[in-house]
Amino acid sequence: LIPLSRLRAGQSGRVGQVRGKLDVVHRLQEMGLFDGAAVEMVRPGSPCIIKLHGQRLGFRMDDLAHVMIHLGSAAS
Amino acid sequence: MSLATEHAAYTIALIGNPNTGKSTLFGALSGVRQRTGNYPGVTVERKLGELTHAGRRITLVDLPGTYSLSARSPDEMIAVDVLLGRRPDVPPPDVVLCVVSADSLERHLYLVSQVLELGRPVVVALTMTDLAQGRGMEIDPEQLSRRLGVPVVEVQARRGLGLERLKDALVTAANQPPPSPPTLFPEVFQAEVEELRGWIEAATTGDRNGASGETRTGPARFPRYLAERLILDVGGSLERGIAISGGARQTLTERLAAARNRLADAGCPIPAIEAANRYQWAAKVLEGVVSGRGEPASSWGDRIDAILTHKIWGTILLALILTVMFNAVFAWAQIPMDAIESAFDALSGALVAALPEGALRSLLVDGVLAGCSAILVFLPQIFILFFFLTCLEESGYLARAAYLMDRWMIHVGLSGRSFIPLLSSFACAIPGIMATRVIENRNDRLTTILIAPLMSCSARLPVYTLMIAAFIPPRTYLGGWLNLQGLTLLAMYLLGILVAAAMALLLKRTRLRGSRPGFLMELPVYRWPPLRVVVHRMFDRGWDFVQNAGTIIFAVSIVMWGLLYYPRLGPEELAPLVAEKQRLEQALMQEADDPSTPAEELAASLELVSNRIEGLQKRQSFLGRMGRWIEPAVRPLGWDWRIGSAVIAAFPAREIVVSTIGVIFDVGSDVEEGEGQSRLTEALQAARWPDTGRPLFGVPVALSIMVFFALCAQCASTLAVIGRETESVAWPVFTFVYMTTLAYLAALVTYQAASWLAA
Repeated sequence: LIPLSRLRAGQSGRVGQVRGKLDVVHRLQEMGLFDGAAVEMVRPGSPCIIKLHGQRLGFRMDDLAHVMIHLGSAAS
Repeated sequence: MSLATEHAAYTIALIGNPNTGKSTLFGALSGVRQRTGNYPGVTVERKLGELTHAGRRITLVDLPGTYSLSARSPDEMIAVDVLLGRRPDVPPPDVVLCVVSADSLERHLYLVSQVLELGRPVVVALTMTDLAQGRGMEIDPEQLSRRLGVPVVEVQARRGLGLERLKDALVTAANQPPPSPPTLFPEVFQAEVEELRGWIEAATTGDRNGASGETRTGPARFPRYLAERLILDVGGSLERGIAISGGARQTLTERLAAARNRLADAGCPIPAIEAANRYQWAAKVLEGVVSGRGEPASSWGDRIDAILTHKIWGTILLALILTVMFNAVFAWAQIPMDAIESAFDALSGALVAALPEGALRSLLVDGVLAGCSAILVFLPQIFILFFFLTCLEESGYLARAAYLMDRWMIHVGLSGRSFIPLLSSFACAIPGIMATRVIENRNDRLTTILIAPLMSCSARLPVYTLMIAAFIPPRTYLGGWLNLQGLTLLAMYLLGILVAAAMALLLKRTRLRGSRPGFLMELPVYRWPPLRVVVHRMFDRGWDFVQNAGTIIFAVSIVMWGLLYYPRLGPEELAPLVAEKQRLEQALMQEADDPSTPAEELAASLELVSNRIEGLQKRQSFLGRMGRWIEPAVRPLGWDWRIGSAVIAAFPAREIVVSTIGVIFDVGSDVEEGEGQSRLTEALQAARWPDTGRPLFGVPVALSIMVFFALCAQCASTLAVIGRETESVAWPVFTFVYMTTLAYLAALVTYQAASWLAA
């Protein structure tokens, strides 16, 4: 289980856990970062670009929430 | 409401994620002019449309694009209230039309699952199937319809495909009972929801019978969906919005906490179970509905993104795009603007020739025509600005710009989300301020609202244009790609941005302190901006300007003419000058017969006398008196009473300053003159200080006026919108005071520094 920010470009995995302030976490989950969702890092950095459910999202970690990833190939 | 009218008219609410083509569909269904977009947050206002189908009158309510009906942001709150029929200004919808896009169906079903729970008839419109097919995905709408238990209609709004079938489905659905809501959550959760609902109904019976007891189904039940949301939304914004008495509120908070604890113990952590269960449901619904996925998104889009979102190249390109855009606004608009001005010159020339001198001629030429010209002359610039903005928005680029800007915005304590409202504010602060509703964090939103009016809106453009055209030399660099006038314009925009950044930093460090906001934003698929939408929006915005700003400008032009024309001086005060004028006129008449005396000399002194009469008149006018009264205060900025008067006149709306300057400096100048070049520009270049005879304007004064207008808060509409959005009087007052103070100080420094440099 590693933080999303540690993913390198092209690496993918599945959301293992989203930690942090409950309503921020809730919003992230609504946008598709629920446990088990397949994520691919497109452009690392802050903010980063991730691919989620075939869509691209610009994303910067909140001070209040951290997304943890199960590394591994995740064919969507 | 009688049964007969109820059957004659339907209300249909449109809901959908951003970037689903919902706004385009709304436009295609109702034919009503409205702003469409493909980045999050463009449809923040409630929009209504009308259409008739199968003899039924249908009212369409376009709800803000939203990812979820969770009632946390103001946009979502409005959507939930409209859908549940809890808003007094919108009738309860007979059908909810939920728009989903084929290329991200799984995520959009999240919202569908919430809509299905509302207990109203639902029709699903499936858009962008062509896009999904291009990516090798096939979707079976019939199968999806069976799984969801509601009609699913495939539409391509841009080409008008499927619209009739959609209307049929809507009318049919309106006459049928709502579908039974899907079972999404475990038994234990449902039980908690029902228990809470029962308790709230008991607690609010007293209030309910009085206020909203007369709904169609008799005594209204508290919506089950709201009870569910109360438990799920741990932030508590809905909880605060529920109308119950103080004592009951305390109990409600305790009950919610207890319910959440019980659920957590039962293996249903709140709020995590919501996303988990809804996405689980969505995955099950889509089994066998979608086939052949796995093909990556369009690879040319990936390649474009590789450059456009690059930290260095992307940022350089963004800066380049914005520079070209603002240069174009200035350069391309010049020819049509000149044409409009000379047309008005010709018209007023004809009027002067046709009418006798007096109040009526003056009103028509200096009030009415000057007012009309002041409005129409800005249309070319507004068209060009919106042409660019709409293209960027429709192509999907603006979201990338927001992504790129996030790393900069974070330095002033804001997120990339604030970028789009701020960029919209370059057109007009009002839609910009309304677009801040997508910012969830209250302090971030407030900060963005307070700095949005510092972005140079299109109403400032006229001031910049006039001053630049008159006083900044048209030097060019790099083979004509850059010119000094365009760069000066860019500098004014940058000034607003820099001051806004400083203000944001200040606000976030003091009054609106908060944690660093997160950033999560959809980057929609690149598409060619449809020309029809772009042209439509261009004219729409232009018409908007003529209608809203234009009427104010026109009315104020007339009022300002009056304030400048009256009171007229008595004959005894003007007697010596009038006598002199008559003597010169007679001499000029005889001149035709007698070529010995020089005609030019006579004509020149005649003009001098005429202008002195006009000058005396204007000094004595109401506006002139006001201007002279504040002259000591504006003198350090390099302004005389005439500029001061124009600034006073522009307090309700800053664009008025140009027409007022026009009236003040134009009256008395010969309208036949100035071929090819703007009459007003010449008048300003010719203006002198009465005491010293030095030119009134110069680069320092022009700069100080521009800087003042770049920073001042002279727009009554913006202040009103700030009041409405912040629900306070203090914030608009604060905005006005801080901006006016800054504007004055900055103009002072600019003038003093520029004069010192010039000397």
